[in-house]
Amino acid sequence: MKSLKFKIIDIIYIVMMILPIAFAIVLQVLTKPVSEGISISGARIFFTIPMPIQDFIVSESQVNSALVIVSILFLCLYLTHGLKERIELKRQHFAELIVEKADGLVKDNMGEYFKGYSPFIIAIMALSAFSSLLSLFGLFAPTSDINIVGGWAILVFFLITYYKLKCGPLYYLKGFTEPVALLAPINFISEFATPVSMAFRHYGNVLSGSVISVLLGTALGGLSSMVLKWLPGFLADIPLFQIGIPAVLSIYFDVFSGLLQAFIFAMLTMMYVSGGFPIDEYNRRRLKKAQKALNNK
Amino acid sequence: MQSLDVISINIWQIVVSLINLVLLFLIVKRFLYKPVKKMLENRQNEVEKRYSDAEKANNEALENKKNYEEKLSAASVEADGIIQSAVDTAKAREKEIVSDAKLKAEGIILKAENDAKLAMLKAEDSIKQEIIDVSTVLAEKMLKREISEQDHKDLIDSFIDNIGDGDE
Repeated sequence: MKSLKFKIIDIIYIVMMILPIAFAIVLQVLTKPVSEGISISGARIFFTIPMPIQDFIVSESQVNSALVIVSILFLCLYLTHGLKERIELKRQHFAELIVEKADGLVKDNMGEYFKGYSPFIIAIMALSAFSSLLSLFGLFAPTSDINIVGGWAILVFFLITYYKLKCGPLYYLKGFTEPVALLAPINFISEFATPVSMAFRHYGNVLSGSVISVLLGTALGGLSSMVLKWLPGFLADIPLFQIGIPAVLSIYFDVFSGLLQAFIFAMLTMMYVSGGFPIDEYNRRRLKKAQKALNNK
Repeated sequence: MQSLDVISINIWQIVVSLINLVLLFLIVKRFLYKPVKKMLENRQNEVEKRYSDAEKANNEALENKKNYEEKLSAASVEADGIIQSAVDTAKAREKEIVSDAKLKAEGIILKAENDAKLAMLKAEDSIKQEIIDVSTVLAEKMLKREISEQDHKDLIDSFIDNIGDGDE
Protein backbone atom coordinates (compact mmCIF):
# COMPACT_ATOMS: atom_id res chain seq x y z
CA MET A 1 0.00 0.00 0.00
CA LYS A 2 1.25 3.43 -0.86
CA SER A 3 2.13 5.66 2.04
CA LEU A 4 0.81 9.17 2.50
CA LYS A 5 4.21 10.66 1.78
CA PHE A 6 4.41 8.75 -1.49
CA LYS A 7 0.98 10.00 -2.52
CA ILE A 8 1.83 13.60 -1.64
CA ILE A 9 5.01 13.46 -3.73
CA ASP A 10 3.02 11.95 -6.57
CA ILE A 11 0.51 14.75 -6.43
CA ILE A 12 3.29 17.36 -6.37
CA TYR A 13 4.84 15.81 -9.48
CA ILE A 14 1.53 15.74 -11.32
CA VAL A 15 0.77 19.33 -10.35
CA MET A 16 4.23 20.43 -11.44
CA MET A 17 3.67 18.64 -14.75
CA ILE A 18 0.45 20.53 -15.41
CA LEU A 19 1.48 23.85 -13.90
CA PRO A 20 3.86 24.97 -16.71
CA ILE A 21 1.19 24.35 -19.32
CA ALA A 22 -1.37 26.22 -17.23
CA PHE A 23 1.10 29.01 -16.78
CA ALA A 24 1.64 29.21 -20.54
CA ILE A 25 -2.12 29.34 -21.13
CA VAL A 26 -2.57 32.09 -18.54
CA LEU A 27 0.32 34.03 -20.05
CA GLN A 28 -1.24 33.71 -23.48
CA VAL A 29 -4.65 34.84 -22.26
CA LEU A 30 -3.14 37.82 -20.47
CA THR A 31 -0.83 39.03 -23.22
CA LYS A 32 -2.39 38.03 -26.53
CA PRO A 33 -4.28 40.83 -28.19
CA VAL A 34 -7.65 39.96 -29.65
CA SER A 35 -6.98 39.52 -33.32
CA GLU A 36 -9.44 40.15 -36.05
CA GLY A 37 -9.32 38.08 -39.21
CA ILE A 38 -6.40 36.02 -40.32
CA SER A 39 -3.04 36.87 -38.88
CA ILE A 40 -0.12 34.60 -39.44
CA SER A 41 2.94 35.70 -37.61
CA GLY A 42 5.81 34.28 -35.61
CA ALA A 43 6.20 34.12 -31.86
CA ARG A 44 5.27 37.14 -29.84
CA ILE A 45 8.15 38.98 -28.21
CA PHE A 46 7.98 39.39 -24.44
CA PHE A 47 11.12 41.43 -24.04
CA THR A 48 14.57 41.74 -25.52
CA ILE A 49 17.92 41.60 -23.79
CA PRO A 50 20.71 43.56 -25.43
CA MET A 51 23.55 41.28 -26.40
CA PRO A 52 26.52 41.51 -28.77
CA ILE A 53 25.94 40.71 -32.44
CA GLN A 54 22.16 40.54 -32.03
CA ASP A 55 19.72 41.28 -29.27
CA PHE A 56 18.49 38.20 -27.43
CA ILE A 57 14.75 38.05 -27.89
CA VAL A 58 12.76 36.30 -25.22
CA SER A 59 9.83 35.22 -27.29
CA GLU A 60 6.83 33.00 -26.76
CA SER A 61 8.65 30.06 -28.26
CA GLN A 62 11.56 30.41 -25.80
CA VAL A 63 9.23 30.59 -22.82
CA ASN A 64 7.08 27.72 -24.06
CA SER A 65 10.00 25.44 -24.73
CA ALA A 66 11.42 26.15 -21.27
CA LEU A 67 8.03 25.33 -19.78
CA VAL A 68 7.90 22.12 -21.79
CA ILE A 69 11.29 21.15 -20.39
CA VAL A 70 10.08 21.74 -16.83
CA SER A 71 7.00 19.68 -17.58
CA ILE A 72 9.06 16.83 -19.01
CA LEU A 73 11.38 16.95 -16.01
CA PHE A 74 8.47 16.32 -13.67
CA LEU A 75 7.02 13.73 -16.02
CA CYS A 76 10.33 11.85 -15.78
CA LEU A 77 10.31 12.19 -12.00
CA TYR A 78 6.72 10.97 -11.87
CA LEU A 79 7.40 7.97 -14.11
CA THR A 80 10.44 6.85 -12.14
CA HIS A 81 8.85 7.50 -8.76
CA GLY A 82 8.51 4.20 -6.94
CA LEU A 83 10.50 2.03 -9.33
CA LYS A 84 10.72 -1.51 -8.03
CA GLU A 85 12.25 -4.70 -9.31
CA ARG A 86 8.80 -6.18 -8.91
CA ILE A 87 6.40 -3.86 -10.64
CA GLU A 88 3.90 -2.29 -8.26
CA LEU A 89 2.76 0.73 -10.24
CA LYS A 90 1.35 0.89 -13.73
CA ARG A 91 3.52 3.86 -14.67
CA GLN A 92 6.59 1.68 -14.33
CA HIS A 93 5.49 -0.32 -17.37
CA PHE A 94 5.41 2.90 -19.31
CA ALA A 95 8.85 4.01 -18.10
CA GLU A 96 10.34 0.63 -18.98
CA LEU A 97 8.60 0.67 -22.34
CA ILE A 98 10.11 4.07 -23.20
CA VAL A 99 13.61 3.05 -22.20
CA GLU A 100 13.51 -0.34 -23.87
CA LYS A 101 11.97 0.97 -27.09
CA ALA A 102 14.56 3.76 -27.26
CA ASP A 103 17.35 1.26 -26.63
CA GLY A 104 16.01 -1.02 -29.35
CA LEU A 105 15.60 1.84 -31.81
CA VAL A 106 19.09 3.17 -31.19
CA LYS A 107 20.61 -0.29 -31.40
CA ASP A 108 18.80 -1.05 -34.67
CA ASN A 109 19.58 2.25 -36.35
CA MET A 110 22.94 3.26 -34.94
CA GLY A 111 24.67 0.07 -33.86
CA GLU A 112 26.32 -1.06 -30.68
CA TYR A 113 28.89 1.79 -30.60
CA PHE A 114 26.23 4.46 -30.13
CA LYS A 115 24.21 2.75 -27.43
CA GLY A 116 24.71 5.73 -25.10
CA TYR A 117 22.51 7.76 -27.44
CA SER A 118 19.19 6.42 -26.14
CA PRO A 119 18.62 9.26 -23.64
CA PHE A 120 19.46 11.80 -26.30
CA ILE A 121 16.96 10.27 -28.69
CA ILE A 122 14.33 10.17 -25.94
CA ALA A 123 15.07 13.83 -25.21
CA ILE A 124 14.77 14.89 -28.86
CA MET A 125 11.55 12.96 -29.37
CA ALA A 126 10.00 14.18 -26.12
CA LEU A 127 10.94 17.82 -26.64
CA SER A 128 9.82 17.87 -30.26
CA ALA A 129 6.59 15.96 -29.66
CA PHE A 130 5.52 17.88 -26.57
CA SER A 131 6.45 21.20 -28.16
CA SER A 132 4.32 20.42 -31.20
CA LEU A 133 1.48 19.17 -29.02
CA LEU A 134 1.35 22.52 -27.22
CA SER A 135 -0.71 23.74 -30.17
CA LEU A 136 -3.51 21.47 -28.91
CA PHE A 137 -3.94 23.94 -26.05
CA GLY A 138 -4.01 26.82 -28.48
CA LEU A 139 -0.49 27.78 -27.49
CA PHE A 140 2.30 28.74 -29.78
CA ALA A 141 4.21 25.59 -30.65
CA PRO A 142 7.95 26.23 -30.18
CA THR A 143 8.65 23.85 -33.05
CA SER A 144 7.04 26.27 -35.45
CA ASP A 145 9.86 28.69 -34.70
CA ILE A 146 12.90 28.18 -36.92
CA ASN A 147 15.28 29.28 -34.15
CA ILE A 148 14.24 26.47 -31.80
CA VAL A 149 14.44 23.68 -34.37
CA GLY A 150 17.52 25.26 -35.85
CA GLY A 151 19.29 24.99 -32.51
CA TRP A 152 18.55 21.27 -32.36
CA ALA A 153 19.67 20.78 -35.96
CA ILE A 154 22.92 22.61 -35.27
CA LEU A 155 23.54 20.39 -32.25
CA VAL A 156 23.00 17.37 -34.49
CA PHE A 157 25.38 18.89 -37.02
CA PHE A 158 28.03 19.26 -34.31
CA LEU A 159 27.56 15.63 -33.38
CA ILE A 160 27.83 14.50 -37.00
CA THR A 161 31.02 16.51 -37.50
CA TYR A 162 32.46 15.27 -34.20
CA TYR A 163 32.06 11.65 -35.26
CA LYS A 164 33.36 12.39 -38.76
CA LEU A 165 36.47 13.95 -37.20
CA LYS A 166 37.10 10.90 -35.05
CA CYS A 167 39.48 9.53 -37.67
CA GLY A 168 41.46 12.73 -37.87
CA PRO A 169 40.92 15.97 -39.86
CA LEU A 170 42.77 14.63 -42.92
CA TYR A 171 40.44 11.70 -43.27
CA TYR A 172 37.52 14.10 -42.80
CA LEU A 173 38.74 16.38 -45.58
CA LYS A 174 39.42 13.42 -47.81
CA GLY A 175 35.79 12.45 -47.41
CA PHE A 176 34.78 15.54 -49.42
CA THR A 177 36.61 14.30 -52.51
CA GLU A 178 34.56 11.12 -52.68
CA PRO A 179 33.77 9.72 -55.17
CA VAL A 180 35.68 12.24 -57.37
CA ALA A 181 37.55 15.39 -56.40
CA LEU A 182 35.42 17.43 -58.78
CA LEU A 183 32.40 17.00 -56.53
CA ALA A 184 34.11 18.56 -53.51
CA PRO A 185 32.11 21.85 -53.59
CA ILE A 186 28.83 19.96 -53.83
CA ASN A 187 29.83 17.70 -50.99
CA PHE A 188 30.74 20.75 -48.98
CA ILE A 189 27.32 22.28 -49.61
CA SER A 190 25.53 19.05 -48.79
CA GLU A 191 27.41 18.94 -45.51
CA PHE A 192 25.78 22.19 -44.46
CA ALA A 193 22.51 21.35 -46.12
CA THR A 194 21.94 18.56 -43.62
CA PRO A 195 21.12 20.72 -40.56
CA VAL A 196 19.32 23.28 -42.69
CA SER A 197 17.10 20.67 -44.26
CA MET A 198 16.42 19.04 -40.91
CA ALA A 199 15.47 22.34 -39.31
CA PHE A 200 13.32 23.51 -42.18
CA ARG A 201 11.56 20.18 -42.57
CA HIS A 202 10.46 20.12 -38.96
CA TYR A 203 9.68 23.80 -38.64
CA GLY A 204 7.91 23.95 -42.00
CA ASN A 205 5.67 20.99 -41.27
CA VAL A 206 4.53 22.25 -37.90
CA LEU A 207 4.11 25.85 -39.05
CA SER A 208 2.23 24.81 -42.17
CA GLY A 209 -0.05 22.69 -40.01
CA SER A 210 -0.94 25.66 -37.82
CA VAL A 211 -1.30 27.97 -40.83
CA ILE A 212 -3.65 25.54 -42.54
CA SER A 213 -5.59 25.18 -39.29
CA VAL A 214 -6.06 28.94 -39.10
CA LEU A 215 -7.02 29.18 -42.77
CA LEU A 216 -9.48 26.30 -42.55
CA GLY A 217 -11.00 27.66 -39.35
CA THR A 218 -11.59 31.04 -40.98
CA ALA A 219 -12.87 29.46 -44.15
CA LEU A 220 -15.33 27.29 -42.23
CA GLY A 221 -16.55 30.35 -40.33
CA GLY A 222 -17.11 32.17 -43.62
CA LEU A 223 -18.88 29.16 -45.05
CA SER A 224 -21.28 28.84 -42.12
CA SER A 225 -22.12 32.57 -42.17
CA MET A 226 -22.69 32.28 -45.92
CA VAL A 227 -25.04 29.33 -45.51
CA LEU A 228 -26.91 30.72 -42.52
CA LYS A 229 -27.05 34.43 -43.42
CA TRP A 230 -30.72 34.30 -44.45
CA LEU A 231 -31.76 33.29 -40.89
CA PRO A 232 -33.04 36.07 -38.62
CA GLY A 233 -31.22 37.53 -35.64
CA PHE A 234 -28.47 35.73 -33.81
CA LEU A 235 -29.13 32.48 -35.63
CA ALA A 236 -27.16 33.84 -38.55
CA ASP A 237 -24.09 34.16 -36.34
CA ILE A 238 -23.98 30.45 -35.39
CA PRO A 239 -20.61 29.15 -36.60
CA LEU A 240 -22.14 25.87 -37.74
CA PHE A 241 -19.14 24.44 -39.58
CA GLN A 242 -16.69 25.54 -36.92
CA ILE A 243 -18.22 23.01 -34.51
CA GLY A 244 -16.30 19.78 -34.51
CA ILE A 245 -14.64 19.97 -37.91
CA PRO A 246 -11.54 21.93 -36.78
CA ALA A 247 -11.04 19.37 -34.00
CA VAL A 248 -10.93 16.53 -36.51
CA LEU A 249 -8.50 18.46 -38.67
CA SER A 250 -6.41 19.23 -35.62
CA ILE A 251 -5.94 15.50 -35.03
CA TYR A 252 -3.98 15.42 -38.27
CA PHE A 253 -2.29 18.80 -38.26
CA ASP A 254 -1.41 19.01 -34.58
CA VAL A 255 -1.21 15.48 -33.19
CA PHE A 256 -0.25 13.26 -36.09
CA SER A 257 1.97 15.72 -37.88
CA GLY A 258 3.69 16.77 -34.66
CA LEU A 259 4.42 13.22 -33.54
CA LEU A 260 5.50 12.20 -37.04
CA GLN A 261 7.91 15.11 -37.29
CA ALA A 262 9.33 14.29 -33.86
CA PHE A 263 9.89 10.71 -34.99
CA ILE A 264 11.39 11.80 -38.31
CA PHE A 265 13.73 14.26 -36.62
CA ALA A 266 14.92 11.58 -34.21
CA MET A 267 15.35 9.03 -36.98
CA LEU A 268 17.32 11.48 -39.12
CA THR A 269 19.51 12.32 -36.15
CA MET A 270 20.29 8.65 -35.66
CA MET A 271 20.90 8.08 -39.37
CA TYR A 272 23.15 11.07 -39.87
CA VAL A 273 25.19 10.64 -36.69
CA SER A 274 25.81 6.93 -37.17
CA GLY A 275 26.12 7.28 -40.96
CA GLY A 276 28.76 9.98 -40.67
CA PHE A 277 30.94 7.89 -38.43
CA PRO A 278 33.38 5.74 -40.46
CA ILE A 279 33.30 2.86 -38.00
CA ASP A 280 35.38 0.45 -40.11
CA GLU A 281 38.16 2.99 -40.55
CA TYR A 282 37.95 3.91 -36.88
CA ASN A 283 38.26 0.28 -35.79
CA ARG A 284 41.13 -0.28 -38.22
CA ARG A 285 43.03 2.69 -36.83
CA ARG A 286 42.42 1.71 -33.26
CA LEU A 287 43.64 -1.80 -33.97
CA LYS A 288 46.77 -0.40 -35.61
CA LYS A 289 47.40 1.87 -32.66
CA ALA A 290 47.00 -1.00 -30.23
CA GLN A 291 49.41 -3.11 -32.24
CA LYS A 292 51.93 -0.28 -32.28
CA ALA A 293 51.65 0.14 -28.54
CA LEU A 294 52.14 -3.60 -28.16
CA ASN A 295 55.25 -3.51 -30.37
CA ASN A 296 56.77 -0.59 -28.45
CA LYS A 297 56.46 -2.55 -25.27
CA MET B 1 2.67 43.43 -28.48
CA GLN B 2 5.22 42.90 -31.18
CA SER B 3 5.55 39.65 -33.03
CA LEU B 4 8.48 38.08 -34.79
CA ASP B 5 8.31 37.44 -38.49
CA VAL B 6 7.46 33.93 -39.55
CA ILE B 7 11.05 33.40 -40.55
CA SER B 8 13.43 35.37 -38.38
CA ILE B 9 16.78 34.09 -37.33
CA ASN B 10 18.21 35.08 -34.01
CA ILE B 11 21.54 33.60 -33.01
CA TRP B 12 20.95 33.82 -29.30
CA GLN B 13 17.63 32.05 -29.58
CA ILE B 14 19.34 29.30 -31.52
CA VAL B 15 22.06 28.99 -28.87
CA VAL B 16 19.54 28.91 -26.06
CA SER B 17 17.49 26.27 -27.84
CA LEU B 18 20.62 24.18 -28.38
CA ILE B 19 21.46 24.48 -24.69
CA ASN B 20 17.88 23.60 -23.84
CA LEU B 21 18.13 20.37 -25.79
CA VAL B 22 21.40 19.46 -24.07
CA LEU B 23 19.76 20.26 -20.75
CA LEU B 24 16.80 18.07 -21.52
CA PHE B 25 19.17 15.31 -22.59
CA LEU B 26 20.86 15.53 -19.19
CA ILE B 27 17.50 15.58 -17.42
CA VAL B 28 16.24 12.53 -19.29
CA LYS B 29 19.49 10.69 -18.70
CA ARG B 30 19.59 11.50 -14.99
CA PHE B 31 15.91 11.21 -14.08
CA LEU B 32 14.49 8.65 -16.48
CA TYR B 33 17.11 6.59 -18.24
CA LYS B 34 19.54 5.84 -15.44
CA PRO B 35 17.00 4.88 -12.76
CA VAL B 36 15.15 2.60 -15.15
CA LYS B 37 18.37 1.04 -16.42
CA LYS B 38 19.59 0.51 -12.88
CA MET B 39 16.31 -1.07 -11.91
CA LEU B 40 16.38 -3.32 -14.98
CA GLU B 41 19.91 -4.36 -14.13
CA ASN B 42 18.91 -5.11 -10.56
CA ARG B 43 15.99 -7.12 -11.81
CA GLN B 44 18.23 -9.02 -14.20
CA ASN B 45 20.62 -9.77 -11.35
CA GLU B 46 17.78 -10.87 -9.14
CA VAL B 47 16.38 -13.13 -11.83
CA GLU B 48 19.78 -14.64 -12.44
CA LYS B 49 20.22 -15.15 -8.71
CA ARG B 50 16.86 -16.85 -8.53
CA TYR B 51 17.76 -19.09 -11.41
CA SER B 52 21.10 -20.05 -9.94
CA ASP B 53 19.47 -20.65 -6.56
CA ALA B 54 16.86 -22.85 -8.15
CA GLU B 55 19.53 -24.75 -10.05
CA LYS B 56 21.54 -25.18 -6.88
CA ALA B 57 18.52 -26.47 -4.98
CA ASN B 58 17.71 -28.81 -7.83
CA ASN B 59 21.24 -30.15 -7.91
CA GLU B 60 21.18 -30.62 -4.16
CA ALA B 61 17.91 -32.48 -4.35
CA LEU B 62 19.23 -34.71 -7.12
CA GLU B 63 22.35 -35.43 -5.10
CA ASN B 64 20.27 -36.24 -2.06
CA LYS B 65 18.09 -38.50 -4.11
CA LYS B 66 21.14 -40.27 -5.46
CA ASN B 67 22.53 -40.66 -1.95
CA TYR B 68 19.30 -42.06 -0.66
CA GLU B 69 19.04 -44.43 -3.55
CA GLU B 70 22.57 -45.60 -2.92
CA LYS B 71 21.83 -46.01 0.75
CA LEU B 72 18.65 -47.83 -0.03
CA SER B 73 20.33 -50.27 -2.35
CA ALA B 74 23.15 -50.77 0.19
CA ALA B 75 20.56 -51.43 2.86
CA SER B 76 18.80 -54.02 0.76
CA VAL B 77 22.13 -55.71 0.08
CA GLU B 78 22.84 -55.65 3.78
CA ALA B 79 19.43 -57.06 4.56
CA ASP B 80 20.02 -59.81 2.04
CA GLY B 81 23.34 -60.54 3.72
CA ILE B 82 21.72 -60.64 7.15
CA ILE B 83 19.03 -62.98 5.95
CA GLN B 84 21.59 -65.15 4.21
CA SER B 85 23.77 -65.35 7.27
CA ALA B 86 20.73 -66.08 9.41
CA VAL B 87 19.73 -68.83 7.05
CA ASP B 88 23.29 -70.16 7.09
CA THR B 89 23.41 -70.14 10.89
CA ALA B 90 20.05 -71.76 11.06
CA LYS B 91 21.15 -74.46 8.64
CA ALA B 92 24.35 -75.04 10.57
CA ARG B 93 22.40 -75.20 13.78
CA GLU B 94 19.95 -77.58 12.20
CA LYS B 95 22.73 -79.81 11.09
CA GLU B 96 24.26 -79.69 14.53
CA ILE B 97 21.01 -80.51 16.19
CA VAL B 98 20.30 -83.31 13.80
CA SER B 99 23.72 -84.77 14.23
CA ASP B 100 23.47 -84.38 17.98
CA ALA B 101 20.16 -86.10 17.92
CA LYS B 102 21.60 -88.85 15.77
CA LEU B 103 24.48 -89.28 18.14
CA LYS B 104 22.17 -89.34 21.08
CA ALA B 105 19.90 -91.77 19.38
CA GLU B 106 22.78 -94.01 18.51
CA GLY B 107 23.94 -93.80 22.12
CA ILE B 108 20.48 -94.70 23.30
CA ILE B 109 20.29 -97.57 20.86
CA LEU B 110 23.71 -98.79 21.91
CA LYS B 111 22.81 -98.52 25.52
CA ALA B 112 19.58 -100.27 24.91
CA GLU B 113 21.39 -103.00 23.08
CA ASN B 114 23.89 -103.31 25.91
CA ASP B 115 21.11 -103.31 28.41
CA ALA B 116 19.36 -105.98 26.45
CA LYS B 117 22.54 -107.98 26.24
CA LEU B 118 23.12 -107.55 29.92
CA ALA B 119 19.56 -108.53 30.66
CA MET B 120 19.99 -111.54 28.46
CA LEU B 121 23.18 -112.48 30.24
CA LYS B 122 21.48 -111.98 33.53
CA ALA B 123 18.57 -114.02 32.41
CA GLU B 124 20.95 -116.70 31.16
CA ASP B 125 22.67 -116.65 34.49
CA SER B 126 19.49 -116.88 36.44
CA ILE B 127 18.17 -119.61 34.16
CA LYS B 128 21.44 -121.44 34.60
CA GLN B 129 21.16 -121.05 38.33
CA GLU B 130 17.65 -122.28 38.33
CA ILE B 131 18.46 -125.16 36.08
CA ILE B 132 21.33 -125.97 38.35
CA ASP B 133 19.14 -125.73 41.36
CA VAL B 134 16.41 -127.75 39.78
CA SER B 135 18.73 -130.34 38.39
CA THR B 136 20.52 -130.58 41.71
CA VAL B 137 17.26 -131.19 43.47
CA LEU B 138 16.20 -133.60 40.76
CA ALA B 139 19.47 -135.42 40.85
CA GLU B 140 19.47 -135.66 44.63
CA LYS B 141 16.00 -137.05 44.52
CA MET B 142 16.43 -139.38 41.58
CA LEU B 143 19.85 -140.71 42.20
CA LYS B 144 19.76 -140.45 45.89
CA ARG B 145 23.37 -140.46 45.79
CA GLU B 146 25.69 -138.51 47.93
CA ILE B 147 27.43 -136.13 45.86
CA SER B 148 29.18 -133.20 47.06
CA GLU B 149 27.25 -130.22 46.01
CA GLN B 150 30.31 -128.59 44.61
CA ASP B 151 31.22 -131.39 42.33
CA HIS B 152 27.72 -131.54 41.02
CA LYS B 153 27.57 -127.92 40.35
CA ASP B 154 30.73 -128.03 38.33
CA LEU B 155 29.43 -130.91 36.33
CA ILE B 156 26.20 -129.19 35.48
CA ASP B 157 28.02 -125.97 34.71
CA SER B 158 30.24 -127.57 32.17
CA PHE B 159 27.26 -129.30 30.68
CA ILE B 160 25.24 -126.15 30.31
CA ASP B 161 28.17 -124.27 29.05
CA ASN B 162 28.47 -126.77 26.33
CA ILE B 163 24.81 -126.44 25.52
CA GLY B 164 25.12 -122.63 25.48
CA ASP B 165 28.10 -122.83 23.21
CA GLY B 166 26.26 -125.03 20.86
CA ASP B 167 23.37 -122.57 20.82
CA GLU B 168 25.36 -119.58 20.17
